Amino acid sequence: MTLTPKERVLKQLAGEEIDRVPCYSGMGNVTVAGLQELGYKFPLVHGDAEMMANLAATSYKMFGYECAVVPFDFCVEAEALGCVMNAYENVEHLLYPTIKEKALHSEEELDSFPIPEDLANAGRIPVVVEAIKRLKKEFGDELPIGTYFLGPFTLGGQIYDLDLLLKYAFKKQKLIYAMLDRLADVLIRVAKIYKEAGADYLTVREMGSGTDLLSPRMWNTLIKPHLIKIISALKEMNFPNNLHICGETNLIVKNMVECGADSISVELKNDMVKTRQEIGPEPLVFGNHDAYKLLVHDSVDDVEKAVIKCLEDGVDAIWPGCDIWPEAKLENVKALVEATKKYGAEKWHRKRK
Amino acid sequence: MSEERKKELFEQLKQGVINFDEDLVKEAANAVVAEGFSAVDAVFQGLVPGMEYVGELYEQQEYFVPELLMCADAMYAGLDILRPHMERTDLGVTGVVVMGVVQGDVHDIGKNIVKMMFDVAGFEVHDLGRDVPLEVFVEEQLRTDADLVCLSAMMTTTMVGMKDIIKQIKLKNPNAKVMIGGAPVTEDIAEKFGADGFAEDASNALKDAINMLTTLRKLKDEAESA
Repeated sequence: MTLTPKERVLKQLAGEEIDRVPCYSGMGNVTVAGLQELGYKFPLVHGDAEMMANLAATSYKMFGYECAVVPFDFCVEAEALGCVMNAYENVEHLLYPTIKEKALHSEEELDSFPIPEDLANAGRIPVVVEAIKRLKKEFGDELPIGTYFLGPFTLGGQIYDLDLLLKYAFKKQKLIYAMLDRLADVLIRVAKIYKEAGADYLTVREMGSGTDLLSPRMWNTLIKPHLIKIISALKEMNFPNNLHICGETNLIVKNMVECGADSISVELKNDMVKTRQEIGPEPLVFGNHDAYKLLVHDSVDDVEKAVIKCLEDGVDAIWPGCDIWPEAKLENVKALVEATKKYGAEKWHRKRK
Repeated sequence: MSEERKKELFEQLKQGVINFDEDLVKEAANAVVAEGFSAVDAVFQGLVPGMEYVGELYEQQEYFVPELLMCADAMYAGLDILRPHMERTDLGVTGVVVMGVVQGDVHDIGKNIVKMMFDVAGFEVHDLGRDVPLEVFVEEQLRTDADLVCLSAMMTTTMVGMKDIIKQIKLKNPNAKVMIGGAPVTEDIAEKFGADGFAEDASNALKDAINMLTTLRKLKDEAESA
């Protein structure tokens, strides 16, 4: 069975049998090597569809990663809702954009903030759409085109003061629930726009909700219902999907699975062996190698060992725990792909049995 | 001024912090001042033990960040009332700290929790805020001659900027100590970056800050009994 990366990734997400685990990600895969190859400056990439698409393709072209993912930052949805982004155009070293001006400033706005009627043309959503279309045109036959957005709570922390959001999550749960429900509706509309543009899979990054921050109890009452709503909508529109949370997730991993996504992904702080004990062999779990240390500092041998460990611990795709750190050594990322090809069948728990 | 009353007020401060009951803390702190008890003792025998217990609850995953933030609010409510009645020399130990969240990162919860403990301890804290350009840390350390510089990053993507700051600070002032903290920081990374200390999450940061306070309190007690 020889599969293209696209077939491998999408068949797996559809629950079909495949030859080996794929090596890819649902998050950003920017590397300094990729930027240099193209002669691009990172701050300019976020607002230019052509650059965005070309840069996303480098992860496939340069190291054989089995996907192309856009965008690269965490501000797209927040900007569409009225936040102002800082791309750090005047900073020498590479920085990811942040929100410099929140969209919401008062408690009263939380459950009634305005949502642009024409979301498809709000902020940089059209840029991401155009980048997806370009990637689809050039690589659509062989590569799965991925995209992502933040989960409602994480997005809430982008558009409103995070300290207050966290405190209100405790003190004014009804209000925050209403806010997250509103954001879930926005995200479902965004998903539809990306799907129509041709994206093959979408990762919901509810990264600000792990148990480093919130209690499992709060996760269940406040976070989970909105993720279920989004994921049900994704399924309804036949949009293959992943639910990603970084940080500590062992205490909520079962609840993550219960949200019903095609797959979940976790980072290295998640003890995968414990996770498998808890959720069993069936659910697709992607992860969970170190996106920074392993790829930037460690040796090629370490990379191979890490891939084997991920597989032995029970992952179904070699994913980083977060966006790949841009200074990743090219030989390390290549080794990651190679090790996955080499061991992705024999060490995979679904083939071992 | 009965010993019993003092104990009762300090216990109220402690319980108020633990149960994030700002009103109770304010009431007890006002009573401490009105009834002429030592503000320093109220901080170190009331508010601080409260935060210590909160730290334990956080570590046991009984409390999480929202709870921690609310406890911190209660603690500041008390500190704001008590601080005007404290002399820095009461503590017997002083220090200057520069702290901030590195550029590219706008998450400052961890930094604020550590700052709170320095505030309690009576340190002179120069808080640079969040999204702070690298050179500002170096300049501020030189300007204030700080003993300690604390750098925080919440995201892997911003952590790497710390390396340059540490190098430059050490180059200009080899005696300054640098502590780094934040979700993506590990001991290994702290070592690679040349930091003197590290705290990988809010729990650790809080624990470290509490350890530091405990040491300070011991020093203070020793100074008093000497």
